[in-house]
Amino acid sequence: MAGKLFVRRRDGRVEVRLNDAGRGVLREAFAHVVAAERDPEHDWHLSLNAPINPSRDDDDPLSSLARQNEIATNAELSVMTLKEQFLNDAEAWAWLSTLQVALRSIAVVNGILSDEKLESCEFELLQEIRTIQQLLFDLAACF
Amino acid sequence: MASLKRLRSSSTESDVQSDVETNVAVVTKRPWNVIVWNDPVTPMTVVVVVFRRVFGYSNNKCTHLMLTVHHEGRAVVWSGERERAESYCVKLQVAGLQATVEQDE
Repeated sequence: MAGKLFVRRRDGRVEVRLNDAGRGVLREAFAHVVAAERDPEHDWHLSLNAPINPSRDDDDPLSSLARQNEIATNAELSVMTLKEQFLNDAEAWAWLSTLQVALRSIAVVNGILSDEKLESCEFELLQEIRTIQQLLFDLAACF
Repeated sequence: MASLKRLRSSSTESDVQSDVETNVAVVTKRPWNVIVWNDPVTPMTVVVVVFRRVFGYSNNKCTHLMLTVHHEGRAVVWSGERERAESYCVKLQVAGLQATVEQDE
């Protein structure tokens, strides 16, 4: 993974420099979060602590609730923008939030609640976690 | 008698005022805390970025809070009235952090 995967441009947009494999990782993670939001039987559903909503609400809970019903969730916005090469700030934040939700959900459903548990988990699972962490690391550097 | 009345009146007002002050003191001394909990997978930089975005804190303060979460397992990241605490908690959860609200002891 040479070079940055996400770059903040001077015009404020975030450039996505992922190949098909990279976008495939995101596609799977985003799809799982959307499915978990909608399906109470989904494995990840219980690890979602709260309704997922775009994060620039003011501090009024009722206002936040109203907006949740009016516009797409972070995960839905992420899925909708998955093929974009350039993301605006809100879209990039939605990607980061959704990816982080996916990462924590993977950890929770696999019982990874400590550093020891993380290091002792199966190689394939550890690789999946490390890949998402790398994507998050690069994306977080844009904020 | 007149002096007794003055005494009673004065005493009653004082009692009321004392009660009010006590109540105010109870409310203001027990804020609601937003707690962020450590987990083994979330990158440190993500925690810092989320704190900065949600609370608008300085980079130094966000880093300090993140390190507190990392080393102590949890950190109080905001204190104040209940409604705002709950709102911040939801924002942190939406960003994928493990957050709860509890009243200060």
